[in-house]
Amino acid sequence: MIRRLVLDVLKPHRPSVVDLSLALSNLEGVDGVNIMIYEIDQHVENAKITIVGTKVDFEVVKKKLEEMGATIHSVDEVASGKKLVEAVKTPQDVSARI
Amino acid sequence: MRFFKKIRRYIRVSGIAPISRRYFIMNAFDGATTILGIVIGAYVVEITSEFWIVWPGLGATFAMSLSGFVGAYMTEEAERANEMKTLEKSMLTDLGESVVGKASRFASLWASMIDGLSPALAGLSCLMPFFLSSIGLFSTSLASQLSIAICLAIMFLLGVLLGRISKRNMVLHGTKMLLVGLVITLVFLMLKVTR
Repeated sequence: MIRRLVLDVLKPHRPSVVDLSLALSNLEGVDGVNIMIYEIDQHVENAKITIVGTKVDFEVVKKKLEEMGATIHSVDEVASGKKLVEAVKTPQDVSARI
Repeated sequence: MRFFKKIRRYIRVSGIAPISRRYFIMNAFDGATTILGIVIGAYVVEITSEFWIVWPGLGATFAMSLSGFVGAYMTEEAERANEMKTLEKSMLTDLGESVVGKASRFASLWASMIDGLSPALAGLSCLMPFFLSSIGLFSTSLASQLSIAICLAIMFLLGVLLGRISKRNMVLHGTKMLLVGLVITLVFLMLKVTR
């Protein structure tokens, strides 16, 4: 069972992020949604969507996003299992930045 | 309840609300003005039977409604189809079955309904005194005066609505719209005097 899902999504300006976040938060197994717009184009906008819950169903989320006119660019992070596990920083991450 | 929720969502997504407001005011004004023209014209030539006003009035109202419905649907559908194509090109996907596509199709239908119903609503309200006069409630002459008053009142109210939308002086906007009706009325009343 998925506990956290981070998606990179392309969406039209309408429906708004408010409508989209409400639609996603009403899905079964979803406890909370965060949508952040990071790029706005003339017709579309790119959003980073974080979905947290006890039992997030990826297929249902995908279907809802398509129903709202949005498309998933990439799945950037998935956390699943009984416990929510944060990404761990390793020395390689630091050296990669240098 | 679910049906109305869906309609509200489609209205929000398609952004049709301000467009349909414009359609409503524009066409209701047309409806009231047309009937005012028919009634005042009949008043000038002193028509004694209300049927000479009711039938041309109903004919004009029906024609305006049908023209509004078809005209708005064709125009809105063409514009929306173009918008959808542009959006689908940007999204690189088919949006036909998404809420965006459904809202787009709904918007054309909604706009045409508003465009078709508004002149009918205004026209039939203006003709109401003649319907009542045909069942013998009052004379044709009184029905004409009442009908003119209703037409002018509708024009004023539409102006008030415009003032409310633009958040400006509602009475001033109402008066501006009323002036159009008053000009028509005065011109024809002068014709009646000079006849």
